[in-house]
Amino acid sequence: MSEEVLEVVGLRKKYGQLEAVQGIDFRVRSGEVFALIGPNGAGKTTTLRVVATILRASAGVVHIAGIDVAREPDRAREIISYLPEEAGAYKNMSGEKYLRFVADLFYSEAKTRDAALARGREIAGLDERLDDKSGSYSKGMTRKLLLARTLMTEPKLAILDEPTSGLDVLNALEVRDIVKQYAAAGAAVLLSSHNMLEIEYLSDRVALIHEGRIVEAGTPAELKEKHGAVTLEDVFREVAS
Amino acid sequence: MRRFMVLLRKELRELMTPQMLVPFAIAILMFALLGSIISGEEKKAQGRQDIGLVDMDGSATSLALPDALDQAGFHVVDLGEIDTASVTEELRKRDLAIGLYVPVGFEQQLESGELADVQTYAVVRSFSLTALSQTDTLKGVLSAVGGSVSDQVIADAIPGSDPETLKRPLAFTEHVAVGSLEAAVPLDAVYGLIQQQTLFIPVILFIVIIFAAQMIATTIASEKENKTLETLLASPIGRGSLIMAKMVAAGLVALASAAAYMAGLSYYFQGLTGGEMFDSGGVDVSTALGLRLAATDWILLGVALFLAILIALAMAVILGAFADSVKAVQSLLTPLIILTLIPYFLSMLIDIESASPLLRAIVFAIPFSNAFTAAPNLFLGNQTRVLLGAGYQLLWLIALVYVAARIFSSDRILTMKLDFRRKKRARVA
Ligand SMILES: Nc1ncnc2c1ncn2[C@@H]1O[C@H](COP(=O)(O)OP(=O)(O)OP(=O)(O)O)[C@@H](O)[C@H]1O
Ligand SMILES: [Mg+2]
Repeated sequence: MSEEVLEVVGLRKKYGQLEAVQGIDFRVRSGEVFALIGPNGAGKTTTLRVVATILRASAGVVHIAGIDVAREPDRAREIISYLPEEAGAYKNMSGEKYLRFVADLFYSEAKTRDAALARGREIAGLDERLDDKSGSYSKGMTRKLLLARTLMTEPKLAILDEPTSGLDVLNALEVRDIVKQYAAAGAAVLLSSHNMLEIEYLSDRVALIHEGRIVEAGTPAELKEKHGAVTLEDVFREVAS
Repeated sequence: MRRFMVLLRKELRELMTPQMLVPFAIAILMFALLGSIISGEEKKAQGRQDIGLVDMDGSATSLALPDALDQAGFHVVDLGEIDTASVTEELRKRDLAIGLYVPVGFEQQLESGELADVQTYAVVRSFSLTALSQTDTLKGVLSAVGGSVSDQVIADAIPGSDPETLKRPLAFTEHVAVGSLEAAVPLDAVYGLIQQQTLFIPVILFIVIIFAAQMIATTIASEKENKTLETLLASPIGRGSLIMAKMVAAGLVALASAAAYMAGLSYYFQGLTGGEMFDSGGVDVSTALGLRLAATDWILLGVALFLAILIALAMAVILGAFADSVKAVQSLLTPLIILTLIPYFLSMLIDIESASPLLRAIVFAIPFSNAFTAAPNLFLGNQTRVLLGAGYQLLWLIALVYVAARIFSSDRILTMKLDFRRKKRARVA
């Protein structure tokens, strides 16, 4: 049976005067891919950052597997993994060294660590380029390295901010499969994306955020049906404008 | 602890990049090289100096001069009998720096009780530090010539007398008191000793503070610039460990660099001073005046220095949190550099104890001052002062680490930045 992994209730976040997130509620269960879509500046990244424990909510609560992220961020960090919108690796480190650094952080036992490393290498798929300094990687190569870093620790909740941005068509397809399989294996995935095809293919449920509020939520099929649209893009156009 | 070590290893690896280490290795090599070049030149200068001599008098007195100069360590080159107009040319031709011209009638002037004429010629080829020894050479020549001739004059005037006693009839015995101890030692020697033992401390401390602060602020700024900070902050690492790993890594590299600078600098200064800094007249000044640091003094000194470095690191963590790019670090560190420069220069230039109350208050308020003044204070027996200073430093450190930890565990590390360009643009718009 699937269990509830993430619960967001009444989430608000202010940057100074600007209230970027104005009261958001949603839940994500294990084995489920939950997607946030919405126009630029809608508050998707802000929401993901609060869930990822690196921003503090101005109001509302976020529970991950029952842990309040505001009260016990360190415990929450043990079971989550966050792929930021724009992320980089340490330029002087090779991809291999970077994965090893992450594995060393998470695992003390050599056996589990090596297993994680093997998973990471496979997801990164960089072959012999893995030994080059990450400063020499292209945007897409870095993105895959970071995705590998995010999923190799087998988090209960993976938070992916535009996971396929910067990837070519083939790499994007591959990443979508990886994410889909990852959720199917029993983890919860919370992601954001601007690619409606990707959302339709990947996500079990979608929330459309507009100016800091969820204005529409449901499965892709439900949303399309409700708005009498052929694609999610049509739904987006109707709701966001 | 395990995670801390993993982080520490990563921080060290990030710091020990060629870009970071090469300039620093070059600086040390430069110091060592300069030192050895200078000491080589000094040795050359200290060897037998060639002196040109023109003796137009040919009297018994003037003929005794080469011997006197020889005894004083100079090698006399006879330039023959030439007129004053061509002495310089002759010196140039023979590559000599100093020439002495004894005119006709030299002995006669002496015998008739007049002042006897002697002319000297110096050819200046450069104004470098080592060329400065030319003035020493000239002084040596003058005192050798003057000494020898005056001995002769006195012996002739008062047969059977000791010219030395007549010339210097007083025997001085210097007494110096430091703290509660007093000894018969030259004042010069006391200052020389203190300088020799404490000269490096402010220089090295200054270098270490700036270097360490720069490193840690740079690592924080580059985490932001390279977009590695967010992933790091979402990883299961306590904020304390995160800051500590950065501080310890920067501290370790800075200390290693300090040791290397120390080695380079000591080479350099040894070259400058020929390894000898003062003449203590055969007395062990440090024992006689208690100018020796006890084990507890060394510990106290170490604590003051270490706290200063930690304070600089904590300040740099806070300042680094404002930077959103590595480039911005330089200007952000300016307040820290000024805070270090004030006690650094003041402790070298003036006696802070006798400064105006306002200046003293300013200096004492700066948390780096105790480290810069600790060594002289300990030599003067002001242990309490250093201990109180260390307590004050500790308060600063606790406050700074608290602020740094607050910044890292709040949003501010991600949202706070001082972008001067953006502000300007906003004002224009
Ligand atoms: N650090 C910050 N300081 C101030 N305001 C911010 C900050 N980060 C984001 N904002 C503001 O908050 C609002 C929401 O931004 P957010 O990044 O969450 O949007 P988004 O939905 O992820 O957009 P995009 O699709 O472009 O990634 C925007 O108006 C943005 O300008
Ligand atoms: Mg975003």
